[in-house]
Parts: sequence; C-alpha cells; structure tokens
Amino acid sequence: MIKDELARLITDGYNALGELGFAESSTGYRLYHWADRNSLNQARIYRSPKDAREIAKYDSSGAYRPLKGVPNLPRGWVLELPNINDLKTALDFFYPGAVATWLAFREGKAQPVCLRQTLNRQTGMYRVTGKLTDDQAQSLVKEACRSDSRCLRTILWGIEADHPPDFLPASKSDPTVDQTGQSRTTLPFLCLEACNLLVAAARTTVKKSSR
Amino acid sequence: MVEKWESALVLVGHGSTLNPDSSAPTFQHADEIGRRELFAEVYCAFWKEEPSLREVLRMVESDDIYIVPNFISEGYFTETIIPRELELTGPVTRRSGKVIKYCEPVGNDPRMVDLLLRRAQDAAPNVPREKTSLLIVGHGTSLNQKSAEAAQQQVRVIREKRLYAEVTEAYMEEPPFIADWRKNTSQRHVVVVPFFIADGLHSYQDIPVLLGIESDRTAAASQQEIFRRNPYNMDGRELYYASAIGTEPLMADVILDTVARFDRRHLCDVAA
Ligand code: SF4
Repeated sequence: MIKDELARLITDGYNALGELGFAESSTGYRLYHWADRNSLNQARIYRSPKDAREIAKYDSSGAYRPLKGVPNLPRGWVLELPNINDLKTALDFFYPGAVATWLAFREGKAQPVCLRQTLNRQTGMYRVTGKLTDDQAQSLVKEACRSDSRCLRTILWGIEADHPPDFLPASKSDPTVDQTGQSRTTLPFLCLEACNLLVAAARTTVKKSSR
Repeated sequence: MVEKWESALVLVGHGSTLNPDSSAPTFQHADEIGRRELFAEVYCAFWKEEPSLREVLRMVESDDIYIVPNFISEGYFTETIIPRELELTGPVTRRSGKVIKYCEPVGNDPRMVDLLLRRAQDAAPNVPREKTSLLIVGHGTSLNQKSAEAAQQQVRVIREKRLYAEVTEAYMEEPPFIADWRKNTSQRHVVVVPFFIADGLHSYQDIPVLLGIESDRTAAASQQEIFRRNPYNMDGRELYYASAIGTEPLMADVILDTVARFDRRHLCDVAA
C-alpha cells in the first residue's frame, strides 16, 4: 500500500517533498514548511490532516492557490499527525497525488504523456490549443512551469511523443534534482502530463497570436 | 445502506482556478461520506483543480471504483470531459485489474426536487406560496443542452405539487433569460433558486447582476451578503434569492443513493 511504502521511504531518509519537510516524532509524524524547520516551537500546531487542505488553499497574502505546485506555501504551522495514514492524507492535500504518482512511475505503471497528445485531446473552448506551435509551446512551458516561481514539479513529458523535454534546463526534468534548489533528500514531485492551467495558458497564447 | 468496504469512491467536481469556494461542496460531501466509513477510500478530483482527473486514479488503491460526478445534469462534462480524462469506455470500464463504475451525475437523483423546495422555503419562509412565483434558474448553454432539460424536469415535478402559484425556469445563456424575470413571472413575491452545485461565481456574481439585485459583479468578500439582504423590493415586487443546493448536507445521501442506483442498474454488466 502507498502508506507502507511512504513509511519505508521515510525510514530510508526521505524527509522532504516540494516546500514541505516531514519526520517521525515521538507521537507519530510531524509535517511542516521546510523553511520553518528550525523554528517549529513558534509554529501553530494542527492535528487533523484536513487542516492541510485549508493551509494549502491560500498563500501568505491570502491569495487563492489553485495550482498546488507553486512555491508559495504559507509558513508558521506544524501538523502533528498520529500515524502514517494521516501523513499520507495530509501530503495529498498539499501536493495531490505526488507520492502515488512517483510510486507508479517508479514501478513503470505510469508514463509521461507528451504535450501534443494532451492538447489534441481537448474539446470545446480548449480545442484551439492544438494550434500551438512548437516554439510557442517551448517558451510557454519555460515560463509557466519554472521552478523558482511557478511550479515545483519535475517535467517528464516533451512536446512531441518520444521526445524528452530537452528545451528545458536539464534540472527541470531530472527527478533526482530538488526543485527548490536545496539539495535535500526529497521525494520526486513529478509532472507526467500538462495540467489544466497550462492548457488554459496555451489557449491564451493561441488566441493572442491569432489576433 | 450502501456499505462498500472494499471499494473506492471518487467524487468529481468542476473546481475553479479563480474561486476558492467552488470545490468546497465536493470536499464537504467527501468528508461526510468518509466520516461514515462506508468506503475503503474516498477521494475528490477536479477538472480545474488538483488532484486532476488524470492523476486521481493513481491515488486510488482499491480494485473496485465508483466515480460520481458532482454535477447538476448530464452534459458536456459528464459525457465528454470526465470519460475522456479518466479514459472510460462506458458505465463499466475494466483496466489493469480494476473495475471502474461510472455513475450518473448527482443532479439526476429524484431528491433534487426536495432540495430545491427546501432552499426556497429557507430563503423565504413566510411568503404566501399561493401568491408566489418560484423561479428555478439554470446555466443553459448550446454546449450543454441537457442542463436546461434537467432544470425543466425539476420545474415540471414541482409544478405538479401545486405548492406555488407559479413555477417557472430561466437561464443565463438561453431564453427564457434570467434578466427577463419581471416579464416572465406573474406574482408579487418571487423566490429564485439556482439549480447549481456550488455557490460559485455564477450564483454570487452573475445571477445577482442579471436579476438586477446587484449593479456590479460583487467582490468575493461580500458573497454571503447576497443572501442576507432578502427580500429585495423592486418595481412593486418582492424578490428572494436562495443559495445553491449543492451545500445541503443531504447531498451526501444523494451521492450514496447514486451509487446504489448504479448497482441496481448495472448488476449484470459488472457480473459479466
Ligand atoms: S504543467 Fe506541470 S509543471 Fe507545468 S504548471 Fe502544470 S503541473 Fe506544474
């Protein structure tokens, strides 16, 4: 089960995912913002994994966070969770599906889907994204998915089938690289397929260029 | 009672990249069903939020999976987007040792009528119903013909109950338009109930402007105000505006009934 594998990974030394840090504690597991790891005694304590959903909903300025991979998680909280199941649930509220996707990818049960396939599948208002040129796609992804400000996921898909995303900095498509730039023992946070926000951004690009 | 200790339930909502409250009803019902411990796992998935429809099935560990769209009617999302994104082949999809059961949208449940009537009653508890028009407002769109059909169906059933002097419908994107409510209702009291899952931007912002009770699309901060100011006195009429039905606690039972209905209808397909 995913929770058992997560427990094993923690025993093996993994202690980070995206902007999060986690560790075993005397009462179970502790989950926090990595940047708060040395000041947890000042952090507000939460005990339910569902609190994670509320914490992850807004950034520190109160703005809504529809894309969970954006590196702007608020700080100053710590989740004290009694068991591995609650830790898994909380991680899924911060970074939905991240652990499951990594495990599935590692076992060969989930493959990346290239951008063309994602765009060509669209219907309705997003059908026009099929017209995005390769150049437009490359600049869009470089900007909209950049790890320093837009999204911490590691991109494994290319623009065309069987093409690696070699237009990106090598670090952005290397699952062993910590996208926050701090060489932590972090669980890979993969992007196996362009998200709906990127598809919506592709629509904007196509609409602008056809004006 | 539905007891599915070896199955997963995935509730699918629309979600929004702009409105933080859009996914709230879907999470609320998932929490309630999770609390009752009827399923091995309960997850939410969204078109516009995470987990996405593309990734949610990786999170699910059970081999038997019920997908319930938290949508008000059949239409573009239930017929095109959800099956495409989840790669479903019909009501029952078998893939990699898993059985994925695609249920009807919650809006098809016969209890929707009760929910609409309850919302109308809550918004305007003291109006004389024999002197009141009940206006059910839906989305209505060329892309989604069935959203209007679903609202019409509710109107028909409520009309037969003869509780209100008049029961009629109006839409945002097709006639009869919401903006024409003065012309299309005859009674002094008018109760407006949105046939929507969530009190999203449509019911907080767009519909109040169309009804004329707001001059501008309101800021998210004043959302609840809209319902607190009932009744609105306009042109000698008294208008009451109700919130969307999707946050009704009873919706958790509607979702469970939707699963039970799937089992009754597709018993043979699953056994095959
Ligand atoms: S496409 Fe992937 S990497 Fe880019 S913003 Fe969306 S989730 Fe992040």
